[in-house]
Amino acid sequence: MATLKELKIRITGVKNTQKITKAMKMVSSAKLRRAQDRIIAARPFAAKINQLLTDLINAAGEGVDDLLESREVKTKCVVIVSSDRGLAGSFNTNIIRTGNNYLNTLDKNTKVVIVGKKANDSFKKMKVNLVKGYTGIFNDLTIEQSNEIVNFLVEGYKKKEFDSVEIIYNEFKSIAKQVTVREQFLPLKKAGDKKEKDGMIKQTSGDYIYEPSQYEIIKELIPKQLKVQFWKVLLESNAAEQAARMTAMETATRNASDLLKILELSYNQARQAAITKEILEIVGGAEALKDA
Amino acid sequence: MSFNIEIVSPVKMVYSGEVNSVSIPGTSGSFQVLQNHAPLISTFSVGKIKIEKDSEIIEFSTSGGVFEVKSNKAIVLAESIESKDEVNIERARQSKLRAEEILKMIEITEDEKDDAKLALQRAVNRIKFKEKS
Repeated sequence: MATLKELKIRITGVKNTQKITKAMKMVSSAKLRRAQDRIIAARPFAAKINQLLTDLINAAGEGVDDLLESREVKTKCVVIVSSDRGLAGSFNTNIIRTGNNYLNTLDKNTKVVIVGKKANDSFKKMKVNLVKGYTGIFNDLTIEQSNEIVNFLVEGYKKKEFDSVEIIYNEFKSIAKQVTVREQFLPLKKAGDKKEKDGMIKQTSGDYIYEPSQYEIIKELIPKQLKVQFWKVLLESNAAEQAARMTAMETATRNASDLLKILELSYNQARQAAITKEILEIVGGAEALKDA
Repeated sequence: MSFNIEIVSPVKMVYSGEVNSVSIPGTSGSFQVLQNHAPLISTFSVGKIKIEKDSEIIEFSTSGGVFEVKSNKAIVLAESIESKDEVNIERARQSKLRAEEILKMIEITEDEKDDAKLALQRAVNRIKFKEKS
């Protein structure tokens, strides 16, 4: 059995760890709330631009922009979104495993773009064609950083360095649930292919005045749509990260409590045993004196 | 004599409500929209968006986006938009200097030149917007 002193040290240690995990949990929950607010704030813009673009593309027909046309895929580009910091439960492990499994099914030339330090560190060690890594952006996530990544992807796609772009990221479902998803980013998917909707849209978008022209507006809208789409991916991933960390830290705090209970029990037992021993010694000593 | 307008950016909803008129720095010339305007979709570039509500005037500085109006409902989708208080003048000055320096360099590609020109435009617009008041 451990000595009193050893137990005392362990109890202090566990208590300190618990303080840290508790604080991290609170920080994460505050950050999660902020992340959720940002997702909500991005929604009206995303919904509106999507609707506008869908209307216009449906009215304009085929062959408007390269970014819309799918071509024969020779080289793929896979974007993997992880986090910059660890201690977020299985958040990064999941994304790295999913990413790796998927890359294994693809050609070796597949270009890989990484967002977040964690995945960047692990994919650097693997045999993948890592073309770019963006790290340290989640600490203070801004739309400019997001746009920079989009510009890189769009440029590469236009220059035919790759023929499709897919994103793997953790989607925020709820605080308890994050799902790893894979989504096509480029070429842009045309939403709303429903026939009956088509007829309605053509009617409504027919009587618009376009400045400068329908074609120019579509050209202008597509990059914006891509930017907001990617921005949403980053926000989702960020929210998922905070949620995962919150859950992980809560579990850690609970485990620490359980551990503390056991440790305190043994400490008290050891203390009681020591006291009993001392009393026995004193009594024994007194008895011996009386006899003499 | 008013119509509904929503000004949104990817980061937040900037303004929503009834206004009398709105001025937009359209790509092919700025224009003003009043009540009962015909359905219109227009892109706009770097400049100033001005809304008038009764006697109140609110101005925003923007770096471009898309404007739509239909049956007395207008929507401004701005890539970035700032009110006077939000403009960071120091940052604008810095990006102005940076852009000017890039433009002075000899060995730059056309793309880089265009980017720098746009950045310069945005910075100058922000500075002008902030200082004129």
